[in-house]
Amino acid sequence: MPGMKRAAGRVYAWLERRLQLAAPVKDAVLHPVPRNTASWWYVFGSAAFTLLFLQIFTGILLALVYVPSAGEAWNSLNVLNHQIPLGWFLRALHGWGSNFMVAIVLIHMAQVFLFGAYKFPRELTWILGVFLLLMTLGMAFSGQVLRFDQDAYWGLGIGASIVSRVPWIGGGLVHLLLGGPIIAGATLSRFFTLHVFVIPGAMLLSAFLHVWMVLKLGINEWPMPGRLVSRATYVDQYNQLTHEDGLPFVPGAFWKDLVFSGAILAAVAVCAFVFGPYGPGGQPDPSIIQTVPKPDFFFLWIYTVLSYLPPAMETPFILIAPIAGIAILLALPFYASEGEKSWHRRPVAVLVVTTVAVCWAVLTQLGTTTPWSPHMSAWSSDPIPVSRLHALTPLARAGAVVLQAKQCRNCHSIGGLGGERGPALDDVATRMTMDQLRFKVVTGGGNMPAYGKNLSPPEIEALVTFLETLHPANEPPAYDPAQQQAIEAAQPSGSAP
Amino acid sequence: MRCVAVGLAAWLAVILAGCRLAPGHPPDPDSRPDQVLDFATLYDQNCAACHGRNGQNGPAIDLGNPEYQALIDDASLRKWIANGMPGTEMPAFAQSAGGMLTDAQVDVLVAGMRKAWRAQDAFAGAAPPAYAPAAAGNAGDAQRGQQTYQVRCAGCHKAGGEDIASSTYLSLVGGQALRSIIIAGRPDIGQPDWQHDAPGGKAVTPLSAQDVDDIVTYLGTLRSAATTTVSAQGGGK
Ligand code: HEC
Ligand code: HEC
Ligand code: HEC
Repeated sequence: MPGMKRAAGRVYAWLERRLQLAAPVKDAVLHPVPRNTASWWYVFGSAAFTLLFLQIFTGILLALVYVPSAGEAWNSLNVLNHQIPLGWFLRALHGWGSNFMVAIVLIHMAQVFLFGAYKFPRELTWILGVFLLLMTLGMAFSGQVLRFDQDAYWGLGIGASIVSRVPWIGGGLVHLLLGGPIIAGATLSRFFTLHVFVIPGAMLLSAFLHVWMVLKLGINEWPMPGRLVSRATYVDQYNQLTHEDGLPFVPGAFWKDLVFSGAILAAVAVCAFVFGPYGPGGQPDPSIIQTVPKPDFFFLWIYTVLSYLPPAMETPFILIAPIAGIAILLALPFYASEGEKSWHRRPVAVLVVTTVAVCWAVLTQLGTTTPWSPHMSAWSSDPIPVSRLHALTPLARAGAVVLQAKQCRNCHSIGGLGGERGPALDDVATRMTMDQLRFKVVTGGGNMPAYGKNLSPPEIEALVTFLETLHPANEPPAYDPAQQQAIEAAQPSGSAP
Repeated sequence: MRCVAVGLAAWLAVILAGCRLAPGHPPDPDSRPDQVLDFATLYDQNCAACHGRNGQNGPAIDLGNPEYQALIDDASLRKWIANGMPGTEMPAFAQSAGGMLTDAQVDVLVAGMRKAWRAQDAFAGAAPPAYAPAAAGNAGDAQRGQQTYQVRCAGCHKAGGEDIASSTYLSLVGGQALRSIIIAGRPDIGQPDWQHDAPGGKAVTPLSAQDVDDIVTYLGTLRSAATTTVSAQGGGK
């Protein structure tokens, strides 16, 4: 045993003689940090760094089986899911690791912003951080594409349609992104290269620089209201603080980082175990049209924004908003590199973070709950509740058939079944008179197609006769008072109905 | 130290053994829609909305009526499902006719309906008129048909050009469907079969094949009197 120890010591000495890493590492490990920064608020950055390594590790394992070819990708994911022991768990870890990483990076960023940590002399750290955020999002997006299922098609389709709006060079950019005019094998190769070589390489490099600067410039001190940052005095003040009221980084602050990172890894594992991997969804075969693709969670809000914007606003918004957003983030440390750090005295900053968070949450919520696409098979699969067909005249019953045959159910539900693009028709007769119903069906309006040319007069009559029966038993159908009066006037009052 | 190692190994073993049971274990991949060969699934996805769950209580004819299943032959069933009934709301389902189902799936539907809904001796020994009209196009006698209608149907269906004798209604229903309904009845909505066509649904002299031809021809003349015919609309989809 002592012999082995001595041998190890000799190997270490041999390496150290050449690498000379001991001193800088010791420096970094023992450098003093302000006592009050050893706080649970400062653990998000290291957690993001840990997740990056989890992603690299699981990603390498996945790449051993994944085949980046249009014909094989989908199958190789199913092999992972079903034939390789714990392959599904590996995929789940990578997928949930990605979700956690996006979330943690965003939280880290909000915290740094609120704590004023981007101010002098940490401007460049912030700027690299912005690029790291963009790369994280790029990884999330390109990773979803590698699944190459219908959702990937969907995400790519939206991405391509955004890019194609760039004036003049839009078409060329789409070509560059997809490796051709359409989504095909070349698209997958391109995204594989991005996801596995280009972005991770740039990301590792940036992350190391980012951490290097954190170590060199020191961890941001806990912001005190009234303690202003000024270029002339900040560094001296900081050094004084760390010497008078400081702790060695290890273990003073480091143990909290370790505990939190461990907790995050455990959370990823639990999510992976309980919720399982993402997809792959339906096969990426455009000839299968019975599908309702959905984008991944983090990109849902873009979908919501796109569908709520008036069409004239779409292009300017899509092209200007992201560029403006990134420009603002990059300019921030130059615009506000000195002054107050504490959020107690920065109401605008707090307001900005809250607004962005609330907007994002609301848009995402809308994106998950709004029924965007029609139910493609409702017309032939969703029966009308039997009670609604009870005691109908033959004509009204024929109208119910027309309602199914003309696929109205794909957008309108009855009895809770059917699409939700349009309003449920359960009690439509209480809202509209026969004439209004006829008019709506023939002329459409809103997002309702006009059926005038696609229905024969008997079909329209039957349909409206059926719709007129859709009201609760205790609530009579709507009627037109003017018409009612005319009818009553025409009838001698004596004749009972 | 040893404790930790044993614990870890045990944990791994549990995960490995129980991984099929883990809540996150992915379900089997969806098979392509055109590879589904299960009758219940196919029927529910493609037919239930119009013909009703279990072949009854839908707006269109009740395919689950044992008398109907005894009346119709396999070839006709397959023909209607594959190609639809032109000029009516019954769509074509075969891929060859623009639908979504493969020939194998159409066969599964035919066989499945037979298995689920055909009953022994559905007619209780009686011999009904044939499913298809004797001569193409229901070449019966409209005049006689009107008389038979008045006697056998009008008692339940109001006489004065209302209900099923209205041209609007008849423009939406084909002659074959009328035949099928008159002969096999629609127990789910109370329409009697050919043996019970009399006010109150009592057993009477069954309608003869000639009677059925005549009534369908008569109702056909009411339909063609209407200004618009559905066949001009292409029906189908
Ligand atoms: C593509 C989806 C879609 C299809 C298919 C569709 N609708 Fe609509 N429908 C809508 C939408 C969306 C509205 C709400 C329009 C508005 O804002 O006024 C609507 C409104 C209506 C209304 C008014 C309901 C109310 O409460 O205001 C009726 C009635 C109606 N549709 C009947 C039909 C019928 C009958 C068909 C089939 C012939 C049909 N719809 C097919 C989307 C659809
Ligand atoms: C959009 C509504 C609709 C759907 C969906 C539909 N049908 Fe029909 N079907 C009808 C109507 C309406 C008729 C009667 C046609 C007529 O009025 O002449 C009919 C008639 C038929 C007939 C012939 C009835 C007769 O008189 O002998 C068969 C068989 C049939 N359908 C089977 C099916 C099967 C099997 C499916 C599913 C694959 C299906 N239908 C789906 C509406 C539908
Ligand atoms: C015992 C009474 C009775 C007699 C007799 C009768 N029916 Fe009916 N029929 C009904 C009832 C009940 C319904 C279902 C309610 C409705 O549609 O009005 C119906 C419905 C129908 C329907 C509509 C089916 C559908 O799918 O919507 C047709 C067509 C029909 N009958 C034709 C006839 C013909 C033709 C005759 C004469 C041969 C006839 N009925 C005799 C009671 C009768």
